[in-house]
Amino acid sequence: MTKADAVYPYPIGKAAPNKHLAELLEPLVSELGGTLSETTTDVNADIPLEKLGQFVEALNQRSALQFDMLRNISGVDLEAEGLALKYHFYSFKHGHALQVTVATAYEGAHVQTLTGLYPAADWHEREAAEMFGFTFDGHPNPKNLLLEEDLHIHPLLKAHPLQKVEIKQGIEAGPPGVILS
Amino acid sequence: MTVWPEQRSLVADVEFDTVDMTINIGPQHPATHGVFRMVLTIDGELVVDCEPYIGYLHRGLEKLSENADYRQAMGWWDRTDYLAGMACEFTYCQAVEKLAGIDVPERAEYIRVMMTELSRINSHFLFLGAFGADVGSFGTSFIYAWRERERIYDLFEEVAGDRMFPTYFRIGGVTMDLPENFESRVRWLLGSIEQGLEDLDGLLTGNEIFVERCRGLNPMTTERAIALGITGPCLRATGLPWDLRKAEPYGIYDRMKFDIPTGREGDVFDRYFVRLSEMYQSVKIVEQCLSEMPKSGLILNPNLPKTLRIESGETYVRHEGTKGEYGIYAMARGGVKPYRMKLRSPSFCNLSALRELVVGNYVADAIIILGSLDIVLGEVDK
Repeated sequence: MTKADAVYPYPIGKAAPNKHLAELLEPLVSELGGTLSETTTDVNADIPLEKLGQFVEALNQRSALQFDMLRNISGVDLEAEGLALKYHFYSFKHGHALQVTVATAYEGAHVQTLTGLYPAADWHEREAAEMFGFTFDGHPNPKNLLLEEDLHIHPLLKAHPLQKVEIKQGIEAGPPGVILS
Repeated sequence: MTVWPEQRSLVADVEFDTVDMTINIGPQHPATHGVFRMVLTIDGELVVDCEPYIGYLHRGLEKLSENADYRQAMGWWDRTDYLAGMACEFTYCQAVEKLAGIDVPERAEYIRVMMTELSRINSHFLFLGAFGADVGSFGTSFIYAWRERERIYDLFEEVAGDRMFPTYFRIGGVTMDLPENFESRVRWLLGSIEQGLEDLDGLLTGNEIFVERCRGLNPMTTERAIALGITGPCLRATGLPWDLRKAEPYGIYDRMKFDIPTGREGDVFDRYFVRLSEMYQSVKIVEQCLSEMPKSGLILNPNLPKTLRIESGETYVRHEGTKGEYGIYAMARGGVKPYRMKLRSPSFCNLSALRELVVGNYVADAIIILGSLDIVLGEVDK
């Protein structure tokens, strides 16, 4: 038995035992006013924006859940329905995989940062912020990551055109990030 | 008066006031393995702060994919992890297949796994060569690794018509059947790969300077690696045998017999050694594919629609990429284009931990630590 087996007695080699996860989450999710559903691959929990921090803390701390890895954060522009954030969690201890969906307003959405519980959230949140215009409250380093530092456009919004975008540079260009129609 | 060196005090008995210095490495610097820039704040030779800057290779992959047909977008996903283009195609195809509910013929599944594992060997060879050069073997390890990579690329060219960006996979299968005498060629190639691995193993692991340079440098615990989002060989180096090919089997990996090499301390040497050991396992998988593969049969699902439309659905498909968990979050809302495609790239997540890994080490070690993460900037910047 290696060191790792002792820490994570997860049955390596078997498919992830995701089937009990919905039952486990049901009381917690309904208490917070959310709903459970399923995607093609994972269990999905829709959680109200203001309860996100509370929910994620429970995911991280409760011994029956123990979601210790934040895999991915992905913003989605749902147009008329506003924006949404998709968080993907994984529990090494139990082999559970979970998707958490948080719906936000289209403009000026403030979301609580998860960098305190999951240091991995840092770059994912910076990327979502620049691509969609979210503001992550409490983020330690809220700068642009992939785009230029002074560029304040949100390219992954559906309203942002794919072409005909010209970013002028230099003094004569005026403020950066001007979109020509 | 003669003072012999051993009689001298090597530490000056005067204390100097030191000033932190900021140095910039990259974006065009061979040590950063691509267009990556880091700004180090150093006190003498110790790194006290590190600020990574990425995005120099940002091509808007996700935006482009949202604006293209499901099939058209394939070529861009090759260009994420461009050292293992076929592995990226595999994940992309499976994401779309999961959304649309498309089956893949048995023979195509074997071909896919075989190509993915050859890509993994290819990518790890580059790591071995480049990492050896980082540590100081100059060009030797690089050229040794290149010999085998060239042979793998030759095979890819014969199979798919292209070396780095084959665009060989299709939604529902693969595009062309294997060329004649493929099996004997691959068997010869595997022998050559194993010989190349032994050469590199002797050159690097057999070199005391190399081992002493890497062992004990930047150790990491499993818990910390998980919290930082580190996956792949760097996570397995900490001793956790977690590999998505076994933990959440996809394709036909559940039929394959292979081991998951792990390290002990999570240090730079373990990260190197896990990759080296993993390549022997990939060779094993390719051999099994060759002997178990149906000798003939369909390579593409014959019931595919002319135009692929997906009404709705969302999925998060994750594969064991060459650098870690390569995941694609895909969402469909009708039409011929995906509504959202998000890449969870392993290099991106591993690199985001760089600051914590590098601070407190020497500048020369910072280069090695960055090298040991094995980033590929096409994947980091999307």
